[in-house]
Amino acid sequence: MKVMVTKEWCRAKARLEEDAEVGVGLLALDPLAESCAPRHEEEPQIAFSRFVQLMRRKKKLSVEELAEEADLDLGELVSIEENMHRDPEPRTVYQLAKTFGVPIKKLSQLAGLVVARDPGFSQEALRFAARSEPIEKLTPEENAALESFIAVLSETSEEDEKAR
Amino acid sequence: MSVNSWVVYLFEVESSQLVEAELRDAILEDQLEDWENHWQPELWSAMLRLKAQGVWPVKQESAHWNWQDKIQSIRSLLAYRTFCITCGGMTQGMMQVDLTKSARIESQKGKPIVYIDYLENAPWNRPTLNNPARYRNVGTLLIRAAIELSRAEGFKGRIGLHSLPQSNNFYASKCGMTDLGPDSDCQNLRYFEMTIDQARSFLEVPKE
Repeated sequence: MKVMVTKEWCRAKARLEEDAEVGVGLLALDPLAESCAPRHEEEPQIAFSRFVQLMRRKKKLSVEELAEEADLDLGELVSIEENMHRDPEPRTVYQLAKTFGVPIKKLSQLAGLVVARDPGFSQEALRFAARSEPIEKLTPEENAALESFIAVLSETSEEDEKAR
Repeated sequence: MSVNSWVVYLFEVESSQLVEAELRDAILEDQLEDWENHWQPELWSAMLRLKAQGVWPVKQESAHWNWQDKIQSIRSLLAYRTFCITCGGMTQGMMQVDLTKSARIESQKGKPIVYIDYLENAPWNRPTLNNPARYRNVGTLLIRAAIELSRAEGFKGRIGLHSLPQSNNFYASKCGMTDLGPDSDCQNLRYFEMTIDQARSFLEVPKE
């Protein structure tokens, strides 16, 4: 196979292409409409703030160290932990999911970037937030709450299965 | 595994200049890393920005999307015949093709084609997400690659694909492919096919 294109051809084709979209195949589809509907509940976001804080402490990292490890802006991380940050950047959630080893989709739901399709998820998030306190060391109860919530984050909901 | 590469030119919108890029007949780990670490965060940012403006998304085009599935599917591209375009140290577009499909247009029915399973532009090159887009020509050059592969395989330039709804106009008007209408076997995406003559015409320099 040979591909020999000239600049003339490329220039003329670029003019023709203009602002066209070019996606092909189901794999090139974009995210669900429902997944970025406006957020109505605050509970998951409180849990997100608490989750980030507890995971950081479980990893025995300072806020600064976590910011460095996840390649995040320190100010944004502080505001997330103090629950002042209404809309964390998608990249931030993505980096945190990678750093903590939890599914990006569930963490995005927790951060309020997307709406959970499973109503039980919000309840779990709220229960988790209620069970944990932002103190210096993880108590056994907090640790248990964190572990069980990680399990909830990682499990595949029935609806997810149907979507597959 | 040997990877072939060719010099191609993208059109940089900001400078209105052609810039040198590379077309490769493989998707490697680097491309998957670019997809995960750069394409996806950019897509999410654009999505939220457009959501805030009340213009995202068009529901019909977004159905059946699943993050986990997509990640797994993208990673599986390593196992198929694939192409990518890189420029400025970044993956700008990717394509996966299938050589086992047959033509549907009556005049060439049953003849082998290069079927494009998947073609995607980087989010910053998509005008609906990032206006103005960074580079043009990614789609055009990947279609060119599919045609060249078709010729090399003895398929004489015949190719086929299922276009996403927002891309129908590109394949019908800009590439000159034949629109065979919605395909119920592929979630009603429109099926487009290119004949030998249409491929020949695509390879010519378009008239002003």
